[in-house]
Amino acid sequence: MLAETTQGYLPDEALPILSVHDLQAHFRTDRFGVKRDVKAVDGISFAVRRGEIYGLAGESSSGKTTLIKTIAGAVRPPLEVVGGRVDFAFLPSYGGLHRAPAAEVARIRWRHLSYIMQGSMNVLNPLRRLWASFVDFAYPHIGGSRKQFEQEVVAHLARLRLDPSVLAAYPHELSGGMRQRATIALATICRPDLILADEPTNALDVVVQKEVLGMISGIQREIGSSVLLVTHDLGVHAHVTGRLGIMYAGRLIEEAATAEIFRNPLHPYTRHLISSLPRIGDDVPRQGLEGAPPNLADPPPGCRFHPRCPLAMEICRCQVPATLETAPAHRVACFAVNRSAQP
Amino acid sequence: MSELLLDVSQVSKTFTRGGLLSRQRIVAVDDVSFQLDARRPEIFAIIGESGSGKTTLSRMILNVETPSSGKLLFDGTDLAAIRTSASRMSFMQKVQPIFQNPFESFNPLRRLERYLFMTQRRFIAADQRVTPEMAVDAALHKVGLSLKEVSRRYPHELSGGQLQRVAIARALLANPKLIVADEPVSMIDASLRISIVNLFKTLRDDLGISIIYVTHDLATAYYISDRIMIMQKGNVVESGDARTVLKAPQHPYSRQLREAALLPEAATDLSVSMTHLTSPRASER
Repeated sequence: MLAETTQGYLPDEALPILSVHDLQAHFRTDRFGVKRDVKAVDGISFAVRRGEIYGLAGESSSGKTTLIKTIAGAVRPPLEVVGGRVDFAFLPSYGGLHRAPAAEVARIRWRHLSYIMQGSMNVLNPLRRLWASFVDFAYPHIGGSRKQFEQEVVAHLARLRLDPSVLAAYPHELSGGMRQRATIALATICRPDLILADEPTNALDVVVQKEVLGMISGIQREIGSSVLLVTHDLGVHAHVTGRLGIMYAGRLIEEAATAEIFRNPLHPYTRHLISSLPRIGDDVPRQGLEGAPPNLADPPPGCRFHPRCPLAMEICRCQVPATLETAPAHRVACFAVNRSAQP
Repeated sequence: MSELLLDVSQVSKTFTRGGLLSRQRIVAVDDVSFQLDARRPEIFAIIGESGSGKTTLSRMILNVETPSSGKLLFDGTDLAAIRTSASRMSFMQKVQPIFQNPFESFNPLRRLERYLFMTQRRFIAADQRVTPEMAVDAALHKVGLSLKEVSRRYPHELSGGQLQRVAIARALLANPKLIVADEPVSMIDASLRISIVNLFKTLRDDLGISIIYVTHDLATAYYISDRIMIMQKGNVVESGDARTVLKAPQHPYSRQLREAALLPEAATDLSVSMTHLTSPRASER
C-alpha cells in the first residue's frame, strides 16, 4: 500500500494521517465600505488516526463544510485561512494543502487524498460518460496500459456491486444510488490514504443509504484508508464512525469515541442532541431546544452556546472555554462540565 | 357534516411518458384507500421511499392532481366536483399544505409578513373587532413566534426551523381542518427538528387539526403519529396503529425499511452496527 514512498516523502507510521491545529477560516468581504468577517471555522484542533472513520456532526452553518473544504485545500475568496495549520502524514509540512505548490497538490489529490462531495447529482460531468471521468481522475495516477486500467476499474466497480456497463452511461442515466456508488468508486480507486466525505448519503433513500454506508465502511476496511465523515445525521454516525466530534457555531465542542458520545454525552448541546433523538419503542416526550444557532458574522461573546444553554454561568458570557480532556480520550469545551477550566 | 373528514377510496394515479411508439405507463398510486375520522383528530403518517407514490397521493389529497380512478371525499364533498372558484376557496381554506424545504417555499425577494397578510385577507372574513395584525400575531404565537420577530424580515434572515414555523403559522391562519405536511422536517436541523415535531402534536391536541405526515423517517413517525401507512411502488403494503406496526412490522418491505432505519442505538449496541453488516445480523431487534 505504500509503494508510492519512492515519490520522495516517507510517511511516519505513528503520525496521525491528518492533524488540524487551531485552524481558523473566515469568510471576509469588504464591499461598499461594509466589512464582514464570518468566523465559520474558529480555532478547531483534532486528528484523524490511520485506518479510522472519524465523524464530524453539527447543524447547518456550524462550519463543517467550510472545515472540510479548508482541509481539502479548496480555499478561494471570500474564504480565507486566518490562522492555524493542517498537516497530512503524506505531505511535507506546508501547513495545509492551500499553501502547497500546485504540482504537489496534483500529486496528492485522488492518490492520497480524495473527496466524496455532497450531492452526487452535481459532481459528475453530465456531458461525459462515466468512463471518461475515470480516465480524467484516476488514469494519471495509476498509469499502465489502458487495458490494465480498464480491468482495474471494472474490478473496483464490482466491489461496489456496479455492473461494468455503467462505464458507458451518462450520469443522468443512473439512479441516485448508482451515481453515489460511482462517485465512491472514483474516490477510492486510487486507494487513497484519507477520504473526506461530506454528507455522502444526504440525497439517498433509507434503504439505499444503509447500503452505501456499508460500502464506504467495507471499502475503507479493505484498502485501509482513513475517512473523515461529515454529516448532521447522528444515526449515520452511530452506525459508521469510530470517533465523533461535535461542532457548534464554528467550534469543536466535544470529541470522544462514538459509543461514548451516545452513552455519556457531556456538553449541554450534545446532551440535548442525543436525548432529543426519537427512538422506535420509546414513548418519552422529547424537548426541543429554545432559540436558534448564532449568526457567525456577529457571534455571542464567550461560549457561543451560552444564549441557549440551560447551565450558562457568568463566566460563559465573557470567556471562551478551552477544549479539554475531561475523561480519557473525551474532550469537552464547557465551563460547567470542566470545573478545572475556570480560572 | 359528514363523519369522515377525509375518505380516500380506491384511488389510483397513472402517468404516461414517452412518445407514440415507446409509451410507458407508470402507476404512481395503485388502489389506495384510507379514512380520517372527523370527530377524532389524528396524525396519520404515510411512509415510503422516493418513488413510492407518497407525494403523488398527498398532491391528490390537496386536489392539485386528479386521480385516474377512484374517489376522494373531503368532509362529504367529492374533490372532483369542485369546479367553481368559491368552492375551491372553501376547500383550500380547510386543507392546507406544508412543504419540505422552507427556503424554497418562500420567495426570497418578498417579506415574510406579506405571505401571512395575503393568506389572512384571502381566507378570513373581515371582522371589525380583529385587525389583520392581531390575527397574524395570534397565528404566529401558536407556533412560538410573534409578529415583532417576523415583520419586515426576508426569508434568508430566519433559520430553517423558524421559517418552517412561519409556514405552519401561515397554514394555521386559514383555520384548516387538515394539514398535509410533505417531509416537513427533513431539511431542518437536528436541534430544531424535535420542536417542529412537538408542534404538530400540539396542533392535534389543542387545535383539533388532523395532520397527514408524509415522511421516510420511521423514528419521528413512531414518535408522533397515531396511525401509519407504508407504501411501496404505489401500493399500500402495511397500515395500522403506528406503535403496533413499527414495533413488529409484518410485511417484508416494512421489515426492510425498519432495518434500514439508522437508529442511534447502534452506537452502543454492537450487534446492529455497520461492522457486522456484511455478516448475517446476530440479533434481530
